[in-house]
Amino acid sequence: MVRNYLYILTGVLFLYACGSCGNKGASGTNGLNDIPDDVVNLGIAEISEEAMQGFVDNMSSPVEMAALIKSLNVGYSNKYLAPTDKIEDYTTNFQQAFSLGVYGLDLGYLNMYNKTNTVLDYISAIKTLADAINVGQFFDFTTLKRLAQNNQNLDSLMYISVHSFNQMDNYLRKTNRSNLSVLIVTGLWLEGNYLATQVYKEAPHPALKERIGEQKIIIEKLMIFLQNFKSDKQFQNLISELSSLQEEYKNVSITIELGEPEAVEKDGMLTFIQHDKSIVNISDETVQRITQKTEDIRNKLIRK
Amino acid sequence: MRPYIKTIFIFALFLALARPAFSQDISELTAQCAASAGDVTYLKDFPAKLDAGTPGGKPPSAKYSMLLSKNTAYRFTICTAPDSEGEAILDLYDMNILIGSTYNKATGKDYPSFDFKCQKTAVYHIFVSFKEGKAGNAVGIMSFVEKL
Repeated sequence: MVRNYLYILTGVLFLYACGSCGNKGASGTNGLNDIPDDVVNLGIAEISEEAMQGFVDNMSSPVEMAALIKSLNVGYSNKYLAPTDKIEDYTTNFQQAFSLGVYGLDLGYLNMYNKTNTVLDYISAIKTLADAINVGQFFDFTTLKRLAQNNQNLDSLMYISVHSFNQMDNYLRKTNRSNLSVLIVTGLWLEGNYLATQVYKEAPHPALKERIGEQKIIIEKLMIFLQNFKSDKQFQNLISELSSLQEEYKNVSITIELGEPEAVEKDGMLTFIQHDKSIVNISDETVQRITQKTEDIRNKLIRK
Repeated sequence: MRPYIKTIFIFALFLALARPAFSQDISELTAQCAASAGDVTYLKDFPAKLDAGTPGGKPPSAKYSMLLSKNTAYRFTICTAPDSEGEAILDLYDMNILIGSTYNKATGKDYPSFDFKCQKTAVYHIFVSFKEGKAGNAVGIMSFVEKL
């Protein structure tokens, strides 16, 4: 009888150890086995959990950037997208995490314009890269593929895409791989800035110009987080490239007009309207320089 | 020997069943909460599983920092888990100034969500807490409504 209990107990403990085998390690394993030691250790050694708790989310939202462009009645163009046919050329975790961010932004753009045929290439690329840095379990490739192929339930397609990225990001930070999390955010941000500046060249709308100028706030925050990993050669190069872009943002000024917020309740829905207002001053020449610099850095980092 | 093994067996069974169930619950609550936000696009979720606060002390809260963009309307939605002891509140701060909440202290009225029309690109702070500092389990959702 005791032996029977022990057999069952062993089985139960195995189940516990496996933990989330059903969702492939979402809460159990830290999945570090396939990552080169230098990259993994870099994350652990260089930044404290406390520092990352000060991390700012939503620094570059694919949804918001794509919605802004679409709201200006600018048509879709695949020339803005990073190509997916050289995916196997991203061989280091550094490259894989950065390009995961790049493709994440492109996926948001494609989803916003309902380009479900092209979406398949991008979700495949993202799945490959996510697997490479051991966060593929959070990317529901099968469901996304089905939704894209059937061209149905686009809200779900958008929700699962965005939620998958959030889960990957949370998991990387929880498992002391904030270095990869920061790289994904950097990829998202740089591709977002590339998209905004390239679209602005063809459709110079003031709202887009203002959005380009506002990136001064974001690049400042991004650089602070990247600096945490400056002992790594690849991060050093990235910081150096982005520093030259940040330099261009010194010519952008942002002022704030203060105002009292207002609360309005209509049909049971509560809305808070902000009357503080940020005003961006950026010259055409500065936009041009930022556009060129962004393009140069982005094209240097992606495989074409 | 036998009662000892039995106790370990029950404990191990509890652990094996409890852990995946919790992550599944949060995931389901997040999906349900995002769907309840209406015809908007999900951007972020803010899970909060908090212990009870100390009597007379400040209620415990989960804090998140978000970059919000000018000329954008966002929706903040709060969903308390069915098994939560306390009822959740989501507050939005600009620096240290409260600029939006799902709970109106003056009237005692709760709102499942509120919209925020942002006119200043900046870092804002979201706090999820439970009324009267009770323990609780909840998720907040931030969604994109429209460009203004």
